[in-house]
Amino acid sequence: MTLTALTLLIAATIGLAAPLLFAALGEMISERGGAINVGLEAMMLAGAFTGVWAASSSGSLIIGFLGAAAGGAAVALLHGVVCFVFGAEQVVSGVVLNILVLGLTTYGIGAVFGSDMTHSVPTLPNFPVPGLSGIPFLGQAFFTQNLMVYVAFLLVPASAWFISRTKFGLAIRASGEQPAAARSMGVDVRKVRWIVLLLCGALAGVGGGQLTLAGLGTFTQNVTAGRGFIALAAVIFGRWQPLGTMIAVLLFTLTEALQIRAQVMGIHVPYQFLVMSPYLVTVVALALFVGRMRPPKSLGVND
Amino acid sequence: MLTRIVTAYSPRFHGVAISVAAIVLAFATASVLLLAGGVNPIVAYVGMAKAAFGSLFAISVTVNKSLPRLLPALGIALSLRAGLWNIGAEGQLYIGAVACAAVALFVPPPAFPFGVLLALAAAAAAGAVWAAIPGVLRAFRGVSEVITSLMLVYVGIQVANYLIEGPWLVPHSTFPATRMFGSAFRLPILMSGTLLNAGVIVALVAAYAFHFITSRTMFGLWLRAVGGNERASRVIGLPVPWITVAAMAAGGAFAGLGGAVEILGVRGRLLESFSPGYGFQAIAIALLGRLTPTGIVASALVFGALEAGGAGLQVTSVGMSSSVAAIIEGLAVIYLLAGLGLVDAVQRRRAAKAELGKQQLPAAASVPRHDNGAGS
Repeated sequence: MTLTALTLLIAATIGLAAPLLFAALGEMISERGGAINVGLEAMMLAGAFTGVWAASSSGSLIIGFLGAAAGGAAVALLHGVVCFVFGAEQVVSGVVLNILVLGLTTYGIGAVFGSDMTHSVPTLPNFPVPGLSGIPFLGQAFFTQNLMVYVAFLLVPASAWFISRTKFGLAIRASGEQPAAARSMGVDVRKVRWIVLLLCGALAGVGGGQLTLAGLGTFTQNVTAGRGFIALAAVIFGRWQPLGTMIAVLLFTLTEALQIRAQVMGIHVPYQFLVMSPYLVTVVALALFVGRMRPPKSLGVND
Repeated sequence: MLTRIVTAYSPRFHGVAISVAAIVLAFATASVLLLAGGVNPIVAYVGMAKAAFGSLFAISVTVNKSLPRLLPALGIALSLRAGLWNIGAEGQLYIGAVACAAVALFVPPPAFPFGVLLALAAAAAAGAVWAAIPGVLRAFRGVSEVITSLMLVYVGIQVANYLIEGPWLVPHSTFPATRMFGSAFRLPILMSGTLLNAGVIVALVAAYAFHFITSRTMFGLWLRAVGGNERASRVIGLPVPWITVAAMAAGGAFAGLGGAVEILGVRGRLLESFSPGYGFQAIAIALLGRLTPTGIVASALVFGALEAGGAGLQVTSVGMSSSVAAIIEGLAVIYLLAGLGLVDAVQRRRAAKAELGKQQLPAAASVPRHDNGAGS
């Protein structure tokens, strides 16, 4: 493999990681607080849709990303109402939201964008980091991405600090591990879960928006194509840690980048095995490293 | 660890009413969306009803479309009796389809019923094995079956894709598929002039088997014991880990049959993405059917009619017609969940009042908190 090919592979891995990273970090925070979102896919898909909608009606990518966050948060709001207000199982609500949002966004293509099926918006341009992008090899691979890619990666240390060093982070962890104890310390567990859930929805929405606003520039049916589930797997494979989640995401997007470039690089693995690998390694890791892969104790149990 | 999420959907509240109300409300909400999209909802629904029930042929299409949803829904309901969430029925369905295709493609065709029966058995067995993996991990490693069964969906789909695009691909096909199966391995058409095939018999037998297992066998009792109170079941000496594995495997067998019925009855060959999420919709159907066989059959027919009817929907774009069905399905379950929550709250309040009246004490504190868990 030539150096150029390697550079392109790394650049693709990092670029593809951004949408997943937004969603996975959101899910990680949410799960640490005890709320599981099997509907992460729905939140991403909603964000991908509302992002294009907002960007095309306002002509601004900033509004577009805000719209994406709002779309994801709206799905989270519905999830919260069903689970926290009406006491339904979080898992069921998530599955149903995936069905519902896939239907709504598909319907929305016709209803909102009308006959203009390839309704497109200008995409987020690459932003070479001044100075760093000039470094041979590294500059091309790491520092010639669009702005939201850098934001996604900066969220990794930010979320680590937020979860482990802030008072609210402690409240989140307490709500996910021992809600009863958290309550006795004066933590409003329900409020904490609402906040992490909405935060997760907004982040997943931005992740979906990243797909459409930074990548394709248009919304197509089921554009997320299961990325929400990969993000879900990354949280588990990353052992509910920000750094681990990032490593998992990068590992998974490396396989995705390999799929795209496999033929060019002369690799002859049937691509289906690359597609299934994130899920397979997650299941295998859960089976082998049970003791070290411990989810938050009260995950998925309504308060 | 996810604690065993025991269902709050006990047979105590069989309320057909709540499911019906949820579906009606879902149609009402969807009409607002249709109006917003410039479609007259009444015209749309009449068109859907015609496409779903307008003729014997239409009805047979509706029935066919309900079968691959009905069978996994029975499986999900069975596992749920033991408090296990089999979210991965979609994967079991694909693996079941792969297994029956393997039989149909590579076994020399035997005399009439045996070929089909062998293919069905292979599908059930494969689905059972695929579902047993999360069961074993749950029972012996304490890993949540929710996550593992979900992850295995995508592994299963890719296994199918690999075979379809690779070794089993029929040459000169315009889309990835295997060759057509021989007639020995097809579920025969039951009524000429319609598409009604013997898959409907498979489904009815399965629904009866579900009823029989849950209400007439020791295994059914064990399922409920484990689902109701895992700790107590352990204490009285039930082999809880093996019951867990068996509950998942049995559920997976139903899901595998769902894939087989679609492949052997309708498609006649294995092709990519043949399921638009039957296994996920089945979760909704199991809940709307309140985990009872009759309820599940009825809900599956509603979902089948929605998909068959979608074809009769005159809307601006192709994707929109199928999306209306998905929207109604999703909304119906959201309303159902909300309705169940409301009923639960009302009942708790009543129980609290009754308690107060009985004891003449300020005993509201003794009313157990609803924890979304056991004993409801």
